[in-house]
Amino acid sequence: MIQKDTGKLSFFLTSVKNIYSVFLSMGRRAKKTKIFFLFSFLPVVIAFIIKFNQIFSGRGKIHGFYIFSNLIVVFYLQFLILILALFFGTSVASEETEGQTLTYLATRPIPKSAIVLGKYSAYTTLVILMMSVGVLLSFLILNVNNLGNFSLYRILLRDVIVLALGIICYTAFFTFIGTFLKKSILVGLVFSFGWESVIQYFPGSTQRFSIVHYLKSLLPVPRTGRFSFLMFRLEPSPDGLAIFMLFLITAIFLGLACFLFSQKEYILED
Amino acid sequence: MKPIVETKSLSKWYGNVLGLSDVTLQIEPGIIGILGPNGAGKSTFLKLITGQIKPNIGTVKVKGQQIRNNYHLFSIIGFCPERDFFYEEMTGWQFVTSLLKLHHFSPSEIGSRANKALEIVELVEDKDRIIRSYSRGMRQRLKFAQAIAHDPEIIVLDEPLSGLDPLGRRKIIHLIKSYKREGRTIIVSSHVLPEIEAMTKRIILIHQGKIFAQGDIHYIRDLIDTHPHIISIKCSNARQLASKFIEKDYILKVHFSSSNDSLLIETNNRDKLFSLLPSLFIENKIEVDEITSPDDNLQAVFDYLVGK
Repeated sequence: MIQKDTGKLSFFLTSVKNIYSVFLSMGRRAKKTKIFFLFSFLPVVIAFIIKFNQIFSGRGKIHGFYIFSNLIVVFYLQFLILILALFFGTSVASEETEGQTLTYLATRPIPKSAIVLGKYSAYTTLVILMMSVGVLLSFLILNVNNLGNFSLYRILLRDVIVLALGIICYTAFFTFIGTFLKKSILVGLVFSFGWESVIQYFPGSTQRFSIVHYLKSLLPVPRTGRFSFLMFRLEPSPDGLAIFMLFLITAIFLGLACFLFSQKEYILED
Repeated sequence: MKPIVETKSLSKWYGNVLGLSDVTLQIEPGIIGILGPNGAGKSTFLKLITGQIKPNIGTVKVKGQQIRNNYHLFSIIGFCPERDFFYEEMTGWQFVTSLLKLHHFSPSEIGSRANKALEIVELVEDKDRIIRSYSRGMRQRLKFAQAIAHDPEIIVLDEPLSGLDPLGRRKIIHLIKSYKREGRTIIVSSHVLPEIEAMTKRIILIHQGKIFAQGDIHYIRDLIDTHPHIISIKCSNARQLASKFIEKDYILKVHFSSSNDSLLIETNNRDKLFSLLPSLFIENKIEVDEITSPDDNLQAVFDYLVGK
């Protein structure tokens, strides 16, 4: 019997949920995830070295939370979440075409857009988890002397939420790139470390054409000190607008990715 | 009988390369063999009728509905691809259950269906091993398992017997025949004529992207039988054996190898020659090392039929 959907939306959501659960489970075990999980511990190692140095050199004047805030911007916001979102986002479509496993998914009674949304959600979940563990450990290491200060946890929560928003938005963008470009990683690298790194420092409204502008607008980052150059020329957008823009960008690129993946013909090469 | 699959003027090309040209046919329930040499367009045809690729010209209908982007139809279609690609880090069990999950079965049904499919292909004992560690034959059987696990009405199999040992082939052939008895439609491709012959009499011959012939397999057998065959015999006394062939009118040519230990015989009646050989060997006490038929493959037959 051909399964005809009684409720189109519920059928679609069930398809997304099933794809999500299959790829979350597969993604957890994947070698790629293990490698990137280790990679996401790079800031933790740096935090540990800084703290170790502070304790044993006796030069512990800089506040742990100040270092943590800069670690968030330097390593997480401008490097780690971009790399993680790039490799996981582009792989939503490319691993199926390059690995030639698309055949198995394309011959199941599920809409192709559900494949994109399900895989995107699964990989975004994995990346957010990877990032959160690293951020939490970095926070604990750098603020080991100040763990009783509960106001810091509120800022930690805000940092994690902003980084999660960044992952959601960037992964959506890279998912879109991965659905229609063969050299999606290369284009993604140019976007991440070219466009995003440059445009954000442009004065006026030009910087609003970068995703990182909206993320920085939401981050509680000190504007003084050694790393203040990272906030150079930032003309922050209001919180509400920044959040709206991040969700709008996510929705647009996910919508485009779903449309392209459904319509495009993927010829699996010999 | 109402056709299950219908194609009209189906054509597909990849850039300048022709994949399939102007294919119009109707496929009814039962087993239909798609036969053709490598690169003939068999896989393209199967991908088109399963909606994986778009035709440049023409239409495909499965059970009266357009197949492309009609995902509902896949609840009644099972597809076994030719290519040997998997989610390598999964176990066999995870692979089959994951794909069953996408058919929206309940967890208990997923378990029972996966077990049944893996039992059929005799992979139950190895179901917890990761796919990367599977042998070629096991991988082929796993591909087959995922195609039948959801109990489809239409089963499309692209070279399902490649990589299987003789026993495995026999089992799959037996299984395919049992599906036919259940009234299902099985579309199976191969470039090996005896494989198709063992499954069905209804065949479609594809060559260079075109339907070359279709109908009963006896038709192609007759075509093949008019094709001069070359038989190679490696034996102890090739010249003595050759002298016995000269008087037979169905022997067209005899060649000797440079080492004189084998001869190539060209005949227009392979069956007569093969029935003669045992008595010749016994009467003349000739020790035979090997008998092969170097041109007994589809490519040679097609080359002959299209007049190359």
